[in-house]
Amino acid sequence: MDLIRTFITQSMGPISITFEFSEWINLLIAFLIGIGFGYSLEQAGFSSSRKLAGMFYGYDTTVLKVFFTAAIVALAGSQLLSFFGLLNLKEVFVNPFYVNASILGGIIMGAGFIMGGYCPGTSISALSIGKIDAMIFMTGGLVGAFLFAETFPLIQSVANDNFKGPMRIDEWFGVSPGVFTLLLILAAVALFWIAELAEKKFSRPDITSDL
Amino acid sequence: MDARIKYSVLLVGIGIIIAFLPFNTAETFRVKSNILLSRSASEDIYYSVDQVARMMNNEDSTVQIIDLRSTTQFKECNIPSSVNIPYPDLLNPIWEGTFNQRKIKKIFYGNDDQTSTYSWTILTGLGYQNNFILKGGLNEWFKTILYSKFNGIKISPVENALFENRYNARKTFTQINSLPDSLKTKFFSSKRLKQSKLDGGCE
Repeated sequence: MDLIRTFITQSMGPISITFEFSEWINLLIAFLIGIGFGYSLEQAGFSSSRKLAGMFYGYDTTVLKVFFTAAIVALAGSQLLSFFGLLNLKEVFVNPFYVNASILGGIIMGAGFIMGGYCPGTSISALSIGKIDAMIFMTGGLVGAFLFAETFPLIQSVANDNFKGPMRIDEWFGVSPGVFTLLLILAAVALFWIAELAEKKFSRPDITSDL
Repeated sequence: MDARIKYSVLLVGIGIIIAFLPFNTAETFRVKSNILLSRSASEDIYYSVDQVARMMNNEDSTVQIIDLRSTTQFKECNIPSSVNIPYPDLLNPIWEGTFNQRKIKKIFYGNDDQTSTYSWTILTGLGYQNNFILKGGLNEWFKTILYSKFNGIKISPVENALFENRYNARKTFTQINSLPDSLKTKFFSSKRLKQSKLDGGCE
């Protein structure tokens, strides 16, 4: 009854904060979202390392289109929900920004992405359909994570250096979140068009016909 | 028209609308007036001075007492373990951490019930939970906790417990308020709460 009353009076997200779900419900929600996410990744063809590598070589830009679309849908959607009083953006988690770690981690991840053909999420998606390269990739990732944890005291200063806290790009640019959303949408539309041109220019029918 | 152009126009159109929307309207009142009215009419939002004295004596960690009077008045005397948030400063973002607590009861007091009732209404309306009022404020605290005496001939166990609680609270109140300012500041800053945060992230 309390849950229903809370829902009627406080129907606002993030729901995990508003309703104070027990641990198992939080995990159940994560499990269901995970199923949807994994299904979508597989359906979008992200379990193929060739498709992901296509982003780097320009013959297949699905990765850019999918992730950029996800970003602008989340960005525009969260602001519309906030406008209609359904989401309190003040309570939405903002990742803390470690500048040096982000740059270094980005380079390592980018190199790993193009060499291995997967990012951590897509490798699990590929693993689930039994791809051997994904198994090797994930084993490598786990070894890397283990080494990171074991050597953390040695690299702690690099990892924690230049900490900026939970920082948002719109605050950094000094524009309103709405204007930043518009700028990102314009950037996305421009990149989608460039991506289409790139696909024509660098087309690899021998690969894309198999995808 | 090419589907790509249609989607592009749609996306840019949504972007232009969002660019003109006010950010995070959730900061405005979001509890409906009839619900706010029924909640404020309930006696459940009040704590008596005896109840607060017991919480203070027990060092109840699930409660945060908030003094809404001015800093000068707060320095003169205050209920031990309370923090000072002057009423005109109520909506300063630095207090977000103190108000945004879902598992800690916030009990507001002023000299009487006026500022605490206003604060309760504003914060509850904004969606903050677990707000309560010290019934009668500091005036009632003085009258009941500091100055009340047992005038009967024979004391019952219930009355004995009540007066023992008041006596202990009176003793703590007097001791803490006679501390030098430097020690009081240290004590109060240790009582500041950190904001409850949603944990998360993504690879």
